[in-house]
Amino acid sequence: MTHVAINVEERLRATVRPETGEIPLFTYADPDVYRLELERIFGRVWLFVAHESELEEEGAFVVRQMGEQSVIVARGDDSEIRVFLNACRHRGMKLTCEDRGVASYWRCPYHGFTFANHGNFMGTPFERVAYPPDGLDRDRLRLVEARCDSYQGLIFATWDREGPSLQEYLGDMRWYLDIFAGRAEMELLGEAQRWVVPAAWRLPSENFASDAYHTATAHSFLARLGLVRGTDFGRAGYHVDAGGGHGLGMGVHDDDPGSYFPAELEDEYRSRLSDDQLALLHRIKNFHGNVFPNLSFLIPNFIPVDGRLVTGLMLRIWQPMGPDRLQAWSWFMVERSAPDWWKERGRRMYVQTFSSSGMFDQDDTEVWEAQTAVAVAARSRSDEVMLDYTMGLDAEPLRDFPGPGRVYDGKFSEAAGRSYYRTWLDLLLGEEERR
Amino acid sequence: MSSIWILPAEAISPAARQAAEDFLIAEAALLDDRRYEEWLALLADDLEYIVPARSIRRNGNGSDVDWESRHFDDNKTSMTLRVRRLGTDVAWSEDPPSFTRRVLGNFRYAAGPGDTELTVKSNLLLFRSRGLTGDHDLIAGERTDVLRLVEGRLQIAKRHVVLDQAMLGTKNLGVFL
Repeated sequence: MTHVAINVEERLRATVRPETGEIPLFTYADPDVYRLELERIFGRVWLFVAHESELEEEGAFVVRQMGEQSVIVARGDDSEIRVFLNACRHRGMKLTCEDRGVASYWRCPYHGFTFANHGNFMGTPFERVAYPPDGLDRDRLRLVEARCDSYQGLIFATWDREGPSLQEYLGDMRWYLDIFAGRAEMELLGEAQRWVVPAAWRLPSENFASDAYHTATAHSFLARLGLVRGTDFGRAGYHVDAGGGHGLGMGVHDDDPGSYFPAELEDEYRSRLSDDQLALLHRIKNFHGNVFPNLSFLIPNFIPVDGRLVTGLMLRIWQPMGPDRLQAWSWFMVERSAPDWWKERGRRMYVQTFSSSGMFDQDDTEVWEAQTAVAVAARSRSDEVMLDYTMGLDAEPLRDFPGPGRVYDGKFSEAAGRSYYRTWLDLLLGEEERR
Repeated sequence: MSSIWILPAEAISPAARQAAEDFLIAEAALLDDRRYEEWLALLADDLEYIVPARSIRRNGNGSDVDWESRHFDDNKTSMTLRVRRLGTDVAWSEDPPSFTRRVLGNFRYAAGPGDTELTVKSNLLLFRSRGLTGDHDLIAGERTDVLRLVEGRLQIAKRHVVLDQAMLGTKNLGVFL
């Protein structure tokens, strides 16, 4: 098929076929696709911006991105959390250039326009002289504000004023986020680790949503070194297409005496989870997923660290930085009331496995970079290179699994990947059902 | 009347400084040459190897070094695991390996903390290239090493590296700092 002289939307409509597991390579790193993604995905859907534990104090703020746009996530003096475009209403200068702080107002470094931490314009120097006789209209110059809401401590924002609520957007994924982020009061320890990877943002996102299969090859060192029983350590468990482009995989065990999680936290887990969720938690040995479009989360496969079986929870966003570059923002998340051994060993385990230096992460970045480079080259071909996303195409979802979504037995499936691409395509073409 | 030609009492002897500098330069060569097993032998059993994250803060608004968030949080056991991984045929991120060149300088010395220990601060420039893009990554940071004399040989008891980027410009830290 030739794609010369047709526009990118026509090309996407003609070539992306999620239901049959066919995705063209060019979409991985195409500048026109990327422009559509910024406008129709990052400009519209709910995006993760911060965790509530980062904003406990009144006036606390962090600076994050929604797509490529800088935003301030702030707890105002009235205790409410809001998200503002990090842009002065006078000339668009960034109101703050630091990562975090505590402030009752932001004063633009350019001309001094000043905005309260709840978004209202407060004034500017020599205002009545500069704008006689009464100064500027307070209401007209309020900071540009995104819709903001949170679920289980995870704060999201969207520029879409009309679309679904956060609860609706997360849909069936909530049941699983309860287990990951809501089983206890959680906190992020420290700043995000951040680094630039020369890869398209979507590749790691869909990997976390849908790809347990790569662990048998890309991460086979784990078995080589005897830390797991075999290279298929990623297979046993469940693959979940949670709808809305959200996906996850859960590795389970049936070991006696059961839960790998600290007994010290069991009461808190029990108080916050349903019986079904708690029973599943007790079997978890790894847990990975992605909230559409770019919030990934992970409970790495438990391994022994200094003589004790531990894991280290990771929260990760893949921030777009162009069609072929991303910023990884990665946090260690842990139960606030956890015993010290769980926090300390967990952090060590997280850093050593999944982080800028992580032994798993390194091999992943290697792959995503090379895929991106190949995709850039594919753009110049006159025929489409179609990629295969058919794993588990004929599998039937389980009927008796207690959690929602389409749940498959065994993690070797690409069902959630196909679902990811359906949501992605519908958004890019403006064909999604408005719920 | 004092003279700059007379060493103050707390100064580290020129011989000790020279031994420490020679040791660190030889250690960097082992890493550049990817002689990881020999490198491991230089690490003390109680090694502490930490690389904190950095953040962008305004002057007066707290430290921009965050010791709670770490790029490396390792000990001898985990470093041994990392080296064992590099020895497998499935360590994709460094196989084929990066070409690296470590340049050390601006050595500063302080006695201790232990009786047989010397603290050395130095600046690290780590050039890294991989593949055929013609690009390279330059990783810069300040090391704080504690070197310990054990049976006539120096060991690395502690290494802290404060990197000079809040957003690292290298796709992974698959190389040792």
